[in-house]
Amino acid sequence: MGNEFVITVELTPPKGPDVTVMLNKLEGLRDLVDAVNFTDSPSAKMRLSSTAACKLALEKKIVPVLQMTCRDRNRIALQSDLLGAYALGIRNVLVMTGDHPIWGDHKEAKPVYDVDSSHLLKIIKNLNEGKDINENSLNGKTDFFVGAVVNPNVEPLMPQLKRFEQKFQCGAEFFQTQMIFELERLKIFLDFANKYDGIKIIVGLIIIKTKKMLNYIAEKIPGVAVPLGLIEKVSKLRDEDVEKFGIDFALEMSRQIRDTKMANGIHIMAISKVEEVKNFLNLL
Amino acid sequence: MIVSKKKPIEDLSQLLKRYNSFFLIGCSECASLCSTGNEEAILNLKGWLEKEGKKVTGWFIAKTGCQILGTKREVSKYKDLIDESECILTLSCGSGTQTIVELFEDKPVIPTNDTLFIGNMRRFKEFEEKCRACGECFLAITGVCVVTLCPKSMLNGPCGGYKNGKCEVNPQRKCVWITAFSILESRGVVDSFYESLLGPKDWSKASSPRNYKAMEKGS
Repeated sequence: MGNEFVITVELTPPKGPDVTVMLNKLEGLRDLVDAVNFTDSPSAKMRLSSTAACKLALEKKIVPVLQMTCRDRNRIALQSDLLGAYALGIRNVLVMTGDHPIWGDHKEAKPVYDVDSSHLLKIIKNLNEGKDINENSLNGKTDFFVGAVVNPNVEPLMPQLKRFEQKFQCGAEFFQTQMIFELERLKIFLDFANKYDGIKIIVGLIIIKTKKMLNYIAEKIPGVAVPLGLIEKVSKLRDEDVEKFGIDFALEMSRQIRDTKMANGIHIMAISKVEEVKNFLNLL
Repeated sequence: MIVSKKKPIEDLSQLLKRYNSFFLIGCSECASLCSTGNEEAILNLKGWLEKEGKKVTGWFIAKTGCQILGTKREVSKYKDLIDESECILTLSCGSGTQTIVELFEDKPVIPTNDTLFIGNMRRFKEFEEKCRACGECFLAITGVCVVTLCPKSMLNGPCGGYKNGKCEVNPQRKCVWITAFSILESRGVVDSFYESLLGPKDWSKASSPRNYKAMEKGS
């Protein structure tokens, strides 16, 4: 990741074995974005493997970012899957602890959480040095570019900032934020983060499409704080005007982030159509 | 204490239906505190069984049902009444039940409780899980058990899922890491805590079944 303003999008692999729709989206995204992030059964809803989706993206000449959570794998499986991903050509990993199964479509599943995301970062650092978590030698070194997540929305913020600092010390080279709706909150975090040299920060954003989407995010997505003022503003709009508002709102934030060099890039989350990303990026 | 609760009456009826006479064994320790193994629980169960047309040959409350030798001594006094019954019902935790299974291998032993967790009593008959008996206690560091009270067993601070200090998994509960963080702050050790990484946890210490002999050298 150099000094250019990075644009990534998030894709959720399909619920099922048919990847036709995902491959079509990838075709459309190839020349639009720098990388595509593939989620790891987000909200604990079981989906096709993120690693497999990354491999399919590589075949389409797209740079994939493998999201890996600690929810479903113990330390053996995490390391084994990471080595497998590396052998398949995957180089970018974004680690997170992961939404609890209670949110998903397999509520009865045993949550694993053998290690947390700080440990997972350390695991990857070790793999990059040619050893596993227990310092056993590997027959080579990986060369992952590893990122972590941070949520500037939460209150109280300090415990989150300390974890951010810890993740940096455990080897995170870039950070992706949870979706942001208020630049003021983001700035508080950035003031703290900028103390650390060399950190790359990508700001998570969504393009609001419908009132329902915004309400769902406000109520159901862990750790996301949608300001009440924004919910009220959107609720007063006519339904057909929400999409335009959503694009304008995301554009305004993205331009400020880019033009003031506040962060290194943006990450567009929860996209449904390639067209919307295209329209948005054309205007940016 | 080991917290237990009574099995649903329909489940118990199903388990008991093939037997007609019972001997009941309670426990004066945790199950009594939980009102699942005290005299009142025994007499209620006895009354219900008799109303169902079953016979209760006798009952007693073990001092400490999980203490195998002591319970063996106590139970020997009731040998005849136990012989007279077709089945023993235990009003204790799963450990106490298995003491009785070990002592009466040939007789059906049915627990009337489900064993829930190691917990504290907040108010009368209100229990909260506090400890997972994981074999590697971090309470000296975190003050509250983050292994037990965090649904993700986070050892190094909160995940990013809390909202207004409330847990992602149960928004009625405060995120335990917000409490743990306040403890670290009030002790003035936030920075030293974050100088290193706690864990990863050694789950081999929680690998069941576990045995422990306190008399062994080095213990």
